[in-house]
Amino acid sequence: MHSPMLSPQPYPKRSNNDLRRSLALMGTVVTVHVVGGEQAPGETAQRERAVERAFGWFGGVEECCTRFEPESEVMRLASQVDVPVQVSTLLYEAVQFALAVAEESGGAFDPTVGYAMETRAFNREHRSGKKIETALDASTSVSYRDVRLDPQNRTITLLRPLILDLGAVAKGLAVDLATRELQRFQNFAIDAGGDLYLGGSNPDGEPWSIGVRHPRRENELIDSLRVSNRAVCTSGDYERRSSLDNSHHILDPRRGSSVEGVASVTVVASNAMLADALATAAFVLGPAEGIRLFDRLSVDGLIITPQLERYVTRGMSEYR
Amino acid sequence: MDKSTLLLLAVILAVFGASVAAGHPAWGTFTGIAIILLAAGLAAGTLPLDSQAYFDERIGPSQRISNSLITLSSAAIVAIYAAGYHRTSPAAHRFDSQALQQPTATIAAVVSPATANPPTNTPSASSSATPATKKNPRPTAPARKPAPAKPVESATQTRYKDGVYLAWGSCPHGDIEVSVVIQDGKIASSLISQCLTRYSCGWIAPKTPGGGLPDLPSQVIERQSPKVDYVSGATESSYAFADAVAAALSKALQ
Repeated sequence: MHSPMLSPQPYPKRSNNDLRRSLALMGTVVTVHVVGGEQAPGETAQRERAVERAFGWFGGVEECCTRFEPESEVMRLASQVDVPVQVSTLLYEAVQFALAVAEESGGAFDPTVGYAMETRAFNREHRSGKKIETALDASTSVSYRDVRLDPQNRTITLLRPLILDLGAVAKGLAVDLATRELQRFQNFAIDAGGDLYLGGSNPDGEPWSIGVRHPRRENELIDSLRVSNRAVCTSGDYERRSSLDNSHHILDPRRGSSVEGVASVTVVASNAMLADALATAAFVLGPAEGIRLFDRLSVDGLIITPQLERYVTRGMSEYR
Repeated sequence: MDKSTLLLLAVILAVFGASVAAGHPAWGTFTGIAIILLAAGLAAGTLPLDSQAYFDERIGPSQRISNSLITLSSAAIVAIYAAGYHRTSPAAHRFDSQALQQPTATIAAVVSPATANPPTNTPSASSSATPATKKNPRPTAPARKPAPAKPVESATQTRYKDGVYLAWGSCPHGDIEVSVVIQDGKIASSLISQCLTRYSCGWIAPKTPGGGLPDLPSQVIERQSPKVDYVSGATESSYAFADAVAAALSKALQ
């Protein structure tokens, strides 16, 4: 199992009022930390319930979006070609967003890489080790243009046999939905292994301090950021590797092979879904184009090459 | 703008247009007819205007590129959250499991002071009641002294202790205080005692019931449970309300 690329570090001393829970969800360890402070009677129970609901969203999003469960909504969609399929709000919005990022990044980010991922031996759920193989007639190459949305009837139509991979959207989305549950408490952190949201300030009353992992040296940080009310996501080539040829888990959808030239991408944005998707897109685009994408969409980011060169947006200095 | 306001505006414009056409030769009939047409257009526009369609139009694929991804992603998160994938009121479920465990606890609490030393009974009972009585100066705990036989009967079903219980629930746009009255072990009334949300609590608890609007306090009495419907367009407030009721009822179990 890989170590977290980012972590609110070091978790500062906690008062007794702090509430901190960890659960294994979506193939990673999700930690929720609500900072204490003055509490009215009964508020402790409310916090517990809110944290429970926050975790609940991870399960809900995974159930809908996982590639590793033939019965998930996204996998049931894959078996139907040329048929408009009515889907849940969750799936519709997630796919709509993924397609928008695909368009915005010129296909560098593409949610239709699911089958290519599967054939390249990224077909195991890391938690259970469960393997999935889908019979698809995928002789022709597919792209995000093969997915049609109908906003009126809320349907998705696949024009070719394909598997949607919402991996770069789902985890961020779950973090954002959990964030909405915890927003009322102002000061909190959600850490879902590489996708974080930091609300308000840490127990010391300061902005949360986030360590960015060194892409080549384990247990070492290459940078640290101070953020408040922002999502931070890092994507690294050290995360998961194919059992076939040791290539890493981010594919260039336009070429069908893993990308070289970037070791890790960190994005700071208003929500984790956006940060995660753009980190993946920038990974494929490469450092220079990646930074241009961030600037155009007004998010901030840090891209590190395998040679440890750093590319940053101008706004990143705010998080020092 | 509200649909009814638009419609009213259209009617006023139409009347004004008619009066111009009839009574102002200087302005001429043409101007009058133009105003009437404008009013008709306004009225026609208001009728099929569906808020969901309007929303779709704004974030639909045709304008996707021009809209920033920041807006699109925030809108998506809000839409999914509002649709509530998993929220079949886990707060209420949790409360149910608490309630199931509760009867045995009640018996233990009642039996032990009766067998051992009665004086400890009074402080423990009053301390559990303080959160309610502190906020509400009118004490309403008539049946505070439980006969040993009574709780044993109540072990078969959830029975609350009589009294008035106050509790808060909060959401990102404010707090709601609910007061729940328990009589004869049942929820006799529930109402929003303080509404400190940015939006009116009339969306979840209309002042005059029966207007077709969702009435969450009545649902609590009907269902004898904090499991209320979540009101579309006021989900946060509904949630705060349900939280508050669950909190108040858990006090009534102690």
